[in-house]
Amino acid sequence: MLRGESALPRRLRRGRRAVAALLLTAGILSFGYVGVSSYVAEELVYTAPTRIDKTPASLGLRFAYVTFPSRQDHLTLRGWFIPGVLPNGRLTADRAIVVVHGTRTNRESKGDHQLQLTAELARHGLAVLAFDMRGAGESTPAPLSMGTLEQRDVLGAVDFLRSGAIPIPALGRPHAIGGLGISMGAATLLLAAAREPAIQAVVSDSAYAEVVPLLEREVPKRTVPVIGHVPAGFVPAALVMSQVLYGADFFAARPVDSIATIAPRPLFLIHGLADGYVPISNFQRLNAAAAAPSTARVTTWLVPKARHAQAFKLTGTEYVIRVVGFFDASLGADRSQPGAAA
Amino acid sequence: MRAVRAALPLVVVLVLAAALLAVAAAAREISARAGFLVERPAVLVVWLIGLLVAAGLIAWVSRAALRRADSSVSLWLLVLTAVALASPLLLTLQQHPSP
Repeated sequence: MLRGESALPRRLRRGRRAVAALLLTAGILSFGYVGVSSYVAEELVYTAPTRIDKTPASLGLRFAYVTFPSRQDHLTLRGWFIPGVLPNGRLTADRAIVVVHGTRTNRESKGDHQLQLTAELARHGLAVLAFDMRGAGESTPAPLSMGTLEQRDVLGAVDFLRSGAIPIPALGRPHAIGGLGISMGAATLLLAAAREPAIQAVVSDSAYAEVVPLLEREVPKRTVPVIGHVPAGFVPAALVMSQVLYGADFFAARPVDSIATIAPRPLFLIHGLADGYVPISNFQRLNAAAAAPSTARVTTWLVPKARHAQAFKLTGTEYVIRVVGFFDASLGADRSQPGAAA
Repeated sequence: MRAVRAALPLVVVLVLAAALLAVAAAAREISARAGFLVERPAVLVVWLIGLLVAAGLIAWVSRAALRRADSSVSLWLLVLTAVALASPLLLTLQQHPSP
């Protein structure tokens, strides 16, 4: 019994006890919920960087290591600049493609054979800037935000190509810049391209329309130290806490909202028909939004039997022919003058 | 005056929520200079300690207010405090699953 209760009317005494129980329950549940969600958020925003084992040299290509800052927050990003190789063997940097990797990987990205893909682009006369986004590979550790913060890295790559130290001075600066992204890299590239008109053509492979539904489905499957599997009810609060504590705004990772502003620049959307991770509905939403403006130039390719981010691995040459053909048509022919030889 | 005193826990909840957010932002700003690998655990530790301190303060203030509560108005103000306390839970669960 609370102090002085005996002097109070019975109704008020009962009310006090009920309110005490309510306060206790609300306090314990709320503080517990926020505490656990904050811990999940701390796990959510971090992925251990994966090691890079191979370089373009292992595929017989010349390349230069490059370092450049992200736009706005100036984090140090590291990557490779791989000159394109023309049919006569001459090297060129006239048309450059920024290649953007997915989550939990790096510029080599073994899982989706990204290094092999960049090598193929280079062999078809397209220079490639393949770099590690923040928190990945050899770039500066930083929170993962599934595109919201990472788009600054893509914008930094564009700035580097336009005004940074030229990696191979004999080749000069690119006259045209395109972008190719896979999975989170594709979503990030879409967000960046919507803000940066210097990205003249975009290939988006396996992008999500928005990331929150994906996280709400996938995070409970993950195990987190101490608590094991994350109960689904903690995910919304963990996403909010990621923003509050680390500035990682997953709710803003919504390429579907800005993809229309890429028009009239050409856009190539690729998606695997057997993609169970980023369901085909994401492709449909992105395609509908991208094609909405009257000036839109959207090309699509739904790849039969391809699972998430496996279209290149599955189709190989066909993928290269389609992507190179798209860039050739979008960026124009190579205009470089004779320079360095391969 | 009694009603004002009964509203004290609610005011404390709101002030502490704002203070916690400010402390977390400051912790992030300071620890970010040492890099994300330091920032990540540092911000969480500061935040969790802040939560514990806030929970203790709110419990103490609420207990005192409950002891003084001798009218239905003061009890309703404490119910409002409980709702404010539960609001993070209610707001986020309401969003699940996302639209």
